[in-house]
This record gives sequence, C-alpha cells and structure tokens, in this order.
Amino acid sequence: MDKIKYIKHNDYKAVSINTLYDVAKGHNGLEAALDQMIVEIEKVVDDGANIIILSDRGVSPEKAPIPMLLACSHAHHGLKKLKKRSLFGIIIESAEPREPHHFSLLFGYGASAINPYMVNEIITHQVENDIIQGISVEKAIDNFNKAIAKGIVKVMNKIGISTLHSYRGAQIFEALGLNEKFIETYFCKTATRIEGIGLYEIEKEINKRFHKAYSQENLAGMPLEIGGDYRWRRDGEKHMLNPASIAKLQQAVRQNKFETYGVYSKLINEQSEKLMTLRGMFEFSSFDPIPLEEVEPWTEIVKRFKTGAMSLGSISAEAHENLAIAMNRIGAKSNSGEGGEDPKRFQPDMDGNWKNSAIKQVASGRFGVSSHYLSSAKEIQIKMAQGAKPGEGGQLPGPKVNPYIASVRNSTPYVGLISPPPHHDIYSIEDLAQLIYDLKNANREARVNVQLVSEVGVGTIAAGVAKAKADVILISGFDGGTGASPLTSLKHAGLPWELGIAEAQQTLVMNDLRSRIVLECDGQMKTGRDVAIACLLGAEEFGFSTAPLVASGCIMMRACHLNTCPVGIATQDPELRKNFKGKPEHVINFMYFVAQELREIMASLGFRSINEMVGQSQKLNMNKAINHYKAQGIDLSKILYKPDVPDYVDTHNTKKQDHGLEKVLDFKIVSKAHTAIYRKDPQHLEFDIKNTNRSVGAILSNEISKIHGANGLPEDTLSIHFKGTAGQSFGAFATTGLFLKVIGNCNDYFGKGLSGGKLVAQVPKEATFKADENIIIGNVALYGAVTGEAYINGVAGERFCVRNSGATAVVEGIGDHGCEYMTGGTALVIGEFGRNFAAGMSGGIAYLYSDDGTFDDKKFNLEMVELEDLTDKDFEKVQELLNNHIDYTNSSRAKSILKDWKENSRKFIKVMPTDYKRALEILAKEAEEAKID
Amino acid sequence: MGKLRGFMEYERINEPVVAPDERIQNYKEFTVAPKNEELQKQGGRCMACGVPFCHSGCPLGNLIPDFNDAVHKNEWEKALTILHSTNNFPEFTGRLCPAPCEEACVLGIINPPVSIELIEKYIVERGFSEGWIKPQPPETRTGKTVAVIGSGPAGLAAAQQLNRAGHTVTVFERDNKIGGLLRYGIPDFKMEKNVIDRRMEILEAEGIIFKCEVEVGKTINAEEIEKEFDAVVLCTGASIKRELPIPGADLKGVTQAMDFLPHNNKAVDGQHKRDPKYLAKDRNVIVIGGGDTGSDCIGTSNRQGAKSVTNFEIMPKPADGRTEDNPWPYWPFKLKTSSSHEEGSHREWNILTKEFIGDGKGNLKGLKTVEVAWKKIPGQRPQLVELEGSEKEWPCELALLALGFTGPEKSLPEQFGLTFDPRGNVKGEQQYQTNKPNIFAAGDARRGQSLIVWAISEGREAAHQIDTYLMGSSDLPQKNIAGDLMAV
Repeated sequence: MDKIKYIKHNDYKAVSINTLYDVAKGHNGLEAALDQMIVEIEKVVDDGANIIILSDRGVSPEKAPIPMLLACSHAHHGLKKLKKRSLFGIIIESAEPREPHHFSLLFGYGASAINPYMVNEIITHQVENDIIQGISVEKAIDNFNKAIAKGIVKVMNKIGISTLHSYRGAQIFEALGLNEKFIETYFCKTATRIEGIGLYEIEKEINKRFHKAYSQENLAGMPLEIGGDYRWRRDGEKHMLNPASIAKLQQAVRQNKFETYGVYSKLINEQSEKLMTLRGMFEFSSFDPIPLEEVEPWTEIVKRFKTGAMSLGSISAEAHENLAIAMNRIGAKSNSGEGGEDPKRFQPDMDGNWKNSAIKQVASGRFGVSSHYLSSAKEIQIKMAQGAKPGEGGQLPGPKVNPYIASVRNSTPYVGLISPPPHHDIYSIEDLAQLIYDLKNANREARVNVQLVSEVGVGTIAAGVAKAKADVILISGFDGGTGASPLTSLKHAGLPWELGIAEAQQTLVMNDLRSRIVLECDGQMKTGRDVAIACLLGAEEFGFSTAPLVASGCIMMRACHLNTCPVGIATQDPELRKNFKGKPEHVINFMYFVAQELREIMASLGFRSINEMVGQSQKLNMNKAINHYKAQGIDLSKILYKPDVPDYVDTHNTKKQDHGLEKVLDFKIVSKAHTAIYRKDPQHLEFDIKNTNRSVGAILSNEISKIHGANGLPEDTLSIHFKGTAGQSFGAFATTGLFLKVIGNCNDYFGKGLSGGKLVAQVPKEATFKADENIIIGNVALYGAVTGEAYINGVAGERFCVRNSGATAVVEGIGDHGCEYMTGGTALVIGEFGRNFAAGMSGGIAYLYSDDGTFDDKKFNLEMVELEDLTDKDFEKVQELLNNHIDYTNSSRAKSILKDWKENSRKFIKVMPTDYKRALEILAKEAEEAKID
Repeated sequence: MGKLRGFMEYERINEPVVAPDERIQNYKEFTVAPKNEELQKQGGRCMACGVPFCHSGCPLGNLIPDFNDAVHKNEWEKALTILHSTNNFPEFTGRLCPAPCEEACVLGIINPPVSIELIEKYIVERGFSEGWIKPQPPETRTGKTVAVIGSGPAGLAAAQQLNRAGHTVTVFERDNKIGGLLRYGIPDFKMEKNVIDRRMEILEAEGIIFKCEVEVGKTINAEEIEKEFDAVVLCTGASIKRELPIPGADLKGVTQAMDFLPHNNKAVDGQHKRDPKYLAKDRNVIVIGGGDTGSDCIGTSNRQGAKSVTNFEIMPKPADGRTEDNPWPYWPFKLKTSSSHEEGSHREWNILTKEFIGDGKGNLKGLKTVEVAWKKIPGQRPQLVELEGSEKEWPCELALLALGFTGPEKSLPEQFGLTFDPRGNVKGEQQYQTNKPNIFAAGDARRGQSLIVWAISEGREAAHQIDTYLMGSSDLPQKNIAGDLMAV
C-alpha cells in the first residue's frame, strides 16, 4: 500500500483522501464530508493525481468513518458527473471489507483495488499470537486474498461476467430499503423499488455503532459481542427460526396440537412484523367475515401445497421419502430435487406408502433425467435458477456421492457432482420453449413448471415463459436455501418473493397471460399468514422447504454441507441417518395447521376459495404499526398495485395451455407400433421426417416407459428409419429397445436425455459431400444422455455430449466445448474437434483421433482431465465402436481408419478425468474385497 | 468451530468423583479434575449448531458453543473471556447449576449432551489458577452511589456490573460473611467457601464496599439508606421457610433444613461447635422434601454419621427419561439422583407426613405417614387423594423440613413502602424497578425461589436498568430474549 501511496513515477501520482466525518455534527457532518470529498478529489485530479486512495484510517473519538461503499460510490459517480472519472483509479484503504460481498460491492461501484487493512492486521495478530498456527503472516494473508478472490469470481460467474475489468463499476445490484433520493445522489441508477431510508438514518446507525465502540472501552472487562449473523446468538442478529420457534413447531406437529402451532405461528408472524420480512409490513384490511365452514376445506387447500426441491443426496433417503409419503397422502406434491429418483419409489410400497415425488425436477445437471423418471411425474419442474443461490448450480461433494446416490444420478460413486450454472440447451426463450415441448412430449399428463427467481424484470421473463407454454411458473424468494449454500449467496443474492410474485402477477395480468398459467411461490413460507399474503399478491400454489424439514426434525444445524447432520436429515452417513425420527404425520400436521390458519384468514377476509383470493391485493395495507426509524419511508405501493383490466381478463388460472401435441409424429408411430410396444415383437417402420417434427421419440418412449418401466423393450425391438431433416430434439429421452435412424440430417438437441435407445444419423447414399467435413446434427447433441448409443455419420455442432452420464457416442467431428461436464459414458471422435474440450469433465472417457496423430494441448481444458495413451482394452473398445459405426452408418472414414489399423491406431489419444480414474480404482478395490469376503 | 464429527468420536464424561464411603468422611468437595486433554475432547463434542439451543436454555445466555470451541482449541484464556462476558461467577454455576443448557443441548437428541457445566467449571478454575482473573476496576467513576442489600448471587452480580459502569457500590449483608445462601445454605461438599472468598477479594479490589452484619431495616433503617444512596437494589432472597403445620411440629427434633444446614456450615467453618439438637449422628433421619435442599440434608446427615437417612417426596416418582409430553429442548421433569442420594438414602414417593410422634418428653420419636395418589382432572391441577389403609409409622429422631420457601421477608420492603405481587414477591413494576423509581429488586426477592443462574441473571439485568435510571442510558449488557426458549 505504501508503495502506491508514496509512488514516485512520472506517469503516476497518488493522493490519499480521508473518508471521515465529524461525528458531533451528525447527519449534516456526513453530508458535508461527502461533498467535501468530491471537491478535494476534483482538485487533486486537476493537479494531476491519477490514483485516488480513499482511506478511513484515523478514526478518533471525534471522527467517524463514512461507510466505505458510500464513499467509493459517491467518488465514482460524483466525478463521473463532473466528467472527470476517467482520469483516475480508485484504491480503497479500509477497515470495513472482510467478506466477498463487501469486496464485490466495492468493485461493482468503481474501486480498482482494495486494501482491507483491518483484516490484515487481525490475521497478523492471530499468527503472531499463535492463534493461527503453522503458517507465516504473508502466507496467511495471501490465503485470505485468494479466498476472497475466489468468492468474487463466484459472484461474477453467477452474473455472467468474465473479467474484473468488466465487473468494475457495473453495479449489478438492487438496493432494498433505500430511498430514491439517496440512491440518485450516491448510487446513481441502482434499482430500488420499495424506497426506505436515506442518509439521515444511515448516519444514525453509524453514530450508534461508533458510540458503542467508544463507550465499550470504558466498560471494564467487556469483550466484543460475538454476533449472530450466520449462527443464532441471543444478542446477535435476529433469525426467524430460533430456539423458540423451532421448539414450538416440533412440539406442535409431534403432539398434533393446533394451539401449540398457534404459539409458533404467532412467534413467526410477530417477528415478521418486526421488520424481518417485507410481508411483515403488510396488514390485512377490508375485513368481510364469513363463517369458517363456508371456506373450502383444508383437504382441498393442501393440494396446492408443495415441498421444495431438495435432492436426494443433499438430504437423506429417509427424510426425502418421508416428505414424499406425507405429501402423497394428502394429495399435495413433493419435489424430487435435481438428483434423480430410485425407480422403486415410483410405485406404492406394500404398506400403501407412496414414496414417489410428484414433482420431478429437471435442472442443468440433468442427473437421472430419463424417460422413465419423467413418466413418473405429475409435474416436471425446470429449474432455471434457485432462489437460495441464483446463478449457481448445485454441488454435491464426492464423499456424499455414495453408490446409492450415484446409481440414482447415473453417475460414478465418489466423484463430486457439479451442476453447470446454465442449462446448456437453453440460451434463449425459444430454447426454453423447446425444452418445455420436449418434456411435455416425455409426459403429456404432467404439468411443466418453470422455476424463476425473484429479481427485477421477472415479470417480463414470466410473460415469456407463459408464451413458451409452461403450465406453472414458480417464483422463488431469496430467503430459502439449504445450509449448504455458499454464505455470499445465503445473504446477498436474490430478492424476497413479495417483489417477484407481485411483478409477475401484474405483468401477466396486464398482458392477459395470467389465465393460462398457474403461479406458484416459495421461499421461507412458514405460516398461514405467509401463504395468505402470497395468494393476495398473485400466487395460487405454495412451496415450503425449511418448515417441513423442521417438522421432520431439522434443528437448523447449518452443517448440511458437512455430512454431519446429527438428526439424519442432511447427511448420507449411515450411522447418522439412523437418527432420523421424522414421520409423515409430522409433515401432514404442519400442512394441515398452515391450511387451517389460512382458512381462518380467508374467512375473516370473506374468501370462500383460493381462486377468489388470488391477486386481491386491495386486501393488504402497509402495516401502520411500524414504528422504527429504519422502516420509515418504505413504500410498498408498487407491490400492492393491482392492474385495472376489463372483466374478461382473468386474474388467476382458469384454462390450460395449448401445447399443440396433436400433430406430433409420434402418435402416428405409436398407432403402427402396437406389436412392438405391447408384445415386444421386433418391428421395422419407415417414415418421412421434416424439421417441424420435433422431439420425435419422446411420446413413444413415454408410452414404453409407462408399460415396461426403466427396462424398456429388448434391444432394437422397434426399429424406425426416418428420411429427411429431423426437427429439434430428435430422439429425446429415447428409451431402451428403440432404434431410430435418420437418413438425412438433424437439428439441435439430437438425443437429449437419451434413455437407452440407439440413435443413428446417416448421410444419404445419394449425397456427394464428404461426411466427415459436413455438419449432420446441430448443437448440444446428447445433452444429459443417461444411457444408450449414438452413431453420427458426420460432424456434430458445438457442446457435443455435455453432461453425458452414460451414453456411448461415435462422431466424425465436433465443435467447441465437447464433453463438457461429462460424468460417464464414452465419446469417440474420429475427426476435428473444437476448443475447450473436456471442461469440467469429471467422468467417462473420450477417445480422439487425428489424421496426423498430434493434438493441440490448447484445445483441451485440462483442469480435471489427463491425456493418456490407449491400453489394449481401450483399443478393443475403439475397434468395436468403429465396427458398429460402419454397420449402422456405412461410414467411409471409419472404414479407412480400420483399414490400416496398425498405423492408424497410434493416432488415438484418451482423455481421462483424474477423479474418475481414482473412483474407478476405489470401486475396483471394493469389488476385490467383496470377492475375498 | 468444534471438531468435525467430534460428537461421533468422543464419549461424554462426567466429572470424576471420590467414592461415597470415602468422601462422607469429611466436608470437602469430592470431585477430581479431569485432564486438560480430556476437557479439550469434551469441548470438541460440541457441534457448533446453527441454532444452539443450549445457549437459549441457559438463563444467562452463556455463549456455550463459543467457549466450547475455545476450550477445544486449547484457548483457555479466550474461553474465560467469553464465559465471563455473560456470567459473573461461573465458579458458582459450574458447581451448583442443574444445567438446563445440557438438557437443551442438540446433541442430547441423539447422544448424551456435551458436558457443558464441567467445561464451564474448569474454564474458571483454570482462570483462577493461572491468575487470569484480575480485578478490573472502572477507569472513571460516575459519582453515583448504589446500595445493594443482600450478598447472594443476585446481589453480587448486580454489584459487580454496577461497579463496572463506574458507580460506587456498597453491599449490605446481615450475616457475618457474604454469600447469602451460597455461604450458609450450600454445604461445603458441594462448594467450599474459599470459592466465595477468592471472588470477594476480586470484587473488593475492584472497589466494591462490603458491610457485613449490617441488617438494613434494623441496624440502619430504610429511610437512611434512601437518603444516602442514589439507587437501591433489594437482593434479599426468598427466605421465609415453608412450615409443616401438623400435630407434633413443635417437638424437639423437628427441624427446618435451613436451620440445620447453616448451623453445620458454620461449624465446618470453625465458627462454633455443633449443637446436639442439630446433630444427625446415630439418629434415624427423615428428610421431608425431595428437592436440592433435601439432597443437601441427606449428604450432611450422612457426614454427621446418621443411623439411617430416608427421603420423603409427596409427588410421584418421575420417569427415568423424558416423556412425550415433556419434549426436548424444554426442562425435563425426570428422576434426579444426586451425589448425596448415592451416598446412602432410602427414597419414598407419593408419601404425606400426617403427624410427628413424641416420646412423651417433648422429643421426636417417629413419623406417621399415609400414601397418596394424584387424581388427574382435565383442565385442572392434579388432586391429592390419601389412600385409605396405607398409614405407616417410621422411627425418626431428626426430621428435616426441606419444603422450600414461600417468599421474601416482608418487613424491609414494607419499610421502603414497596408493593408485592400476588405470590408475595416484591413487585417489579417496570421489570426490576419497583413502585419507587429509585428502588429496584432482583433475584429470589423478586421472582420467588429459583436457581443461582437466575439470580445472577437478575442481578445483571437489574444493574442495566439501574444504570439506565442513573445515567439515562446504559452500556451494560442486557439480554434480549426474543426468540428464546423462555420467551414462550
């Protein structure tokens, strides 16, 4: 730091600007200091300074620090207004920043470099006093910096920004609870929708803390407060789920006592009102009471209730199944989460318990998403983003991936699983429409649900999703989230559902799209009051996650990522899983209590059914009782706005989406393939195909899955040849026993979610071009393929075999990003391949061939893989695949390679993920030991 | 925090003790300090819960996960700072508290809970032996004066807090030494009295003035105190003993536990010789009352060489563990076997004493009892029913009444002109502030008989309010119980 401060260089001149204010002058002092700061910076910049160091050193009983973010943003915007911002860089020297979010904000509001001197001093002190042991001060600080950098990269990655240079000053933030005037002055153009406090209140806060710091010094023997931001402490930050509310909820559901639930719900609702949630600031108004008996029964209401997407893997089988049994018993829906599901659960068991999750999730990782899985769903949920950690995919660390979890996810045991941040088959709303169409084909009885997170502009997205023909849109609030979410996401990403659901409802109603969509809402719903408010703002279905887990025994350990959950919920440890004491009745009791509380509110407001109540935001008022200086100025009118629309515009769901499935080619196939589908007799059919024939094979597979389950039909039972150009998603979710061959070419998403079938794309005999130089199938082929085979007599587009978890593919060339995030299966590429090959590839094997036997290292992403020579076994495998390829496609390239095998076999290379290799060794050892036993 | 999977690796240990027949030979504490490494392991059993119910179960809000972690990492001085930040006298609670924290410990759902009290005790013992516990007098004095009446745990806690805020504090004690029930109610084998003395030295060095054998209301009257001090806090305890008004109650040998125990403590302290009327030696002792005081009487009687010791309890025998209607994390009403019980006693439940029988010379000879049952009536308290034909006579020459306290003595509060709540306790109109703004009440005097840990809590909270009263605002810590187990 000093090096910069006292820099002597002709091109650089650094000046330190102090960011303190006279605490005695209060609000005016702060305002004046901020203004003065701009004047000073302008002066020194005019004098030639080009590095401005904003420093809060020198705090004294008279001088308090200006919050560094405020100072930084003001310097950034203030000088921008004077058109002098480009003349200098901002360096921060501050005691404040310590978490990734603090750094991200400072960069986001214009800082170029940050010196967190307080953190550095603390680290130094701890090393010198042996609190941190076995490491030098330099190394410890270096580690801290590295960790922060990783955190910032993670934040940028969520947003989709690749370089800090682009992130700096990008201010991709939304403010909650700051007023427009303040934002305009100091954080120009940052979104702030509910108004709130300004500089005056901020100064009051600083003053309070400042006073505390100095008075504390006089109090003999009083240490610093421990604080309770991430872990509850009595005198720390408030948490909705605290000892009292957790204990009361568990007591209520275990003893089946509505009165005890009443105590719990009163606790939660009252805390809500103490400024812990936006909904807490509302109060019901325009009471128009009706007798409680006139309100629809709880048994009807709970059908609109769902439990949240928590995967098997993140929580134990016991906890996962318990939720499913409970929800199935009352006609509500549980959610599989993104980890697939054991097919044994799709049928009720001997005790009459049904462990099937009614909602099957399709996330970016596509773990376990097969035709059979989709066929078992009542609702299929596309997770576009997760409320708890928007922009991030799920992560399951290797130790949690035991053989059972791996089998359900079609992955390799002990290999960690990363869901890619985006769906690789969705880059536009049209792509999403295609995925909805694919899934609708895969199970046309199931509703397709698209999960979005509450954020600015979610209304526009929701309108697009409605037009893309989703049946349900879920708006997820930010305050949910498992104990395993990264801390920065837990606290600083996403927005409350109140904002999102209101915006979605308003936009959908204004565009007359609301009637064909079911709107669902989740994110820390805990009481009937929460549900009532969500409903009045526009939701008609409701998701709960944390509360039913607490009902099942969760005590908010916040160790979900450590595999040490002592009550057997968020763990795969066999010993700890034995401690699970939850019963379906506990979850049912919770749902029943919430519905009853909701019914009481409905009766008081005069609603007989949920349908009557949806979107009636005029029944809500801002809570007049709020009397806290920090809540003054909050304006919730934007949330409560109710669009004025003609009578014919419905404001809740009244009709179904028209998915246009009647024209699907599969129905023709099904009508002719009776003998194969029902009797398993081999059959051969031929059809012409056009590019309007999309998702061919999905309905067919759905029909087979419904009858024969995961096994499908015997290999090659139903062979179908198509002539022409296949539309998108040819062979999507094609199941075992299908042999689908296109003679011609195919669009994008060839073999999406391939579930055991065989797919072939063959160049027509008449073609005059060279197969291995021309594209025959589009982008994103075999995305999320589970198992099966594919032979492609030509070049595939980009992102070939992304997230393949078990399929075998032969192709004569591919574009960029091949085999990304692959976790299993085999890819044989006997032609050119693009850059970034094998990025994030944690499993499976790829064999590559080049004409001259050399490979450009730069084309590979070598973070997780190694390049190896083939073994004898590998050569056998490759030869077998090439022979298959010739059999199915008559590939001339394959023929020529085999022709001079001795020479050409040297031109192969094997791409092997390091984790996968280690896992295979563990498994081999386990198998060996099993043999000895 | 803690040791990952420590709770799966290490077993709970309780504090090792000397065998009963050996320890009843004297009045010394009979615990054996575990090794540091063992205590570190015990700290490592803590799971660093996201919601630490222990911390909520503790009336003081002790930062249990935080000091457990520090102990686990061998950072004892840090642990001590954390412990002292919420508890002025961990050496009292570490020995005497029934540990509601351990009953609320999350690990207790599946395994024996973390040995929190054990860890607490050895943090503070380590602190004393290392000399880390030093007087911390305030840097500046406010010029305000406060009188603390009563030197039990509530009074001492209030005094230390107020002194830290810079007020000049005088503690009045009517007995000859400070400590209240800690000094003369608790037998030495549970807490040796030098434990109070060493703490008092610290308090005195911090500038607190102690005046023993001064009974406010008698030696010095209320009016004078009010005149002399800017604020007064009554920490006089709940010292009215519950009587057993049955035939024969005036026989020689029918003795109140709270006469018996102080007499013995003073004897142990060498202040006087034992009066034979308080001596259990060679007598059949029956202790009536199954609480902690009852236990103390049993332990003391055995040490005095009683012929037999029997313990009566009118309530039914509680279950061994939690029952369904008494779920975690709340305080469990389960069978408690104290160390005194282990030293030799016969226990009877559902038993009611009907009469003390004399030998015709005014001496107690025996007890007449009847068995009882508790009839449950929905929505009401269970009703006591005597079982016909279950009358029985017990030989007994010393009957000790350990029936609890009914409330504070009234004369002093009356002299101050204070009001009482329906249960006869001094009424805190504004929590700890009485109907007279300059007079406060804390501890058993305000809340009725309770635990030491509550007394310390009351003293601390009252100090905050007194400081606010004197200064307009206070930087003394105050606990915020919203969201706490005790909030509902």
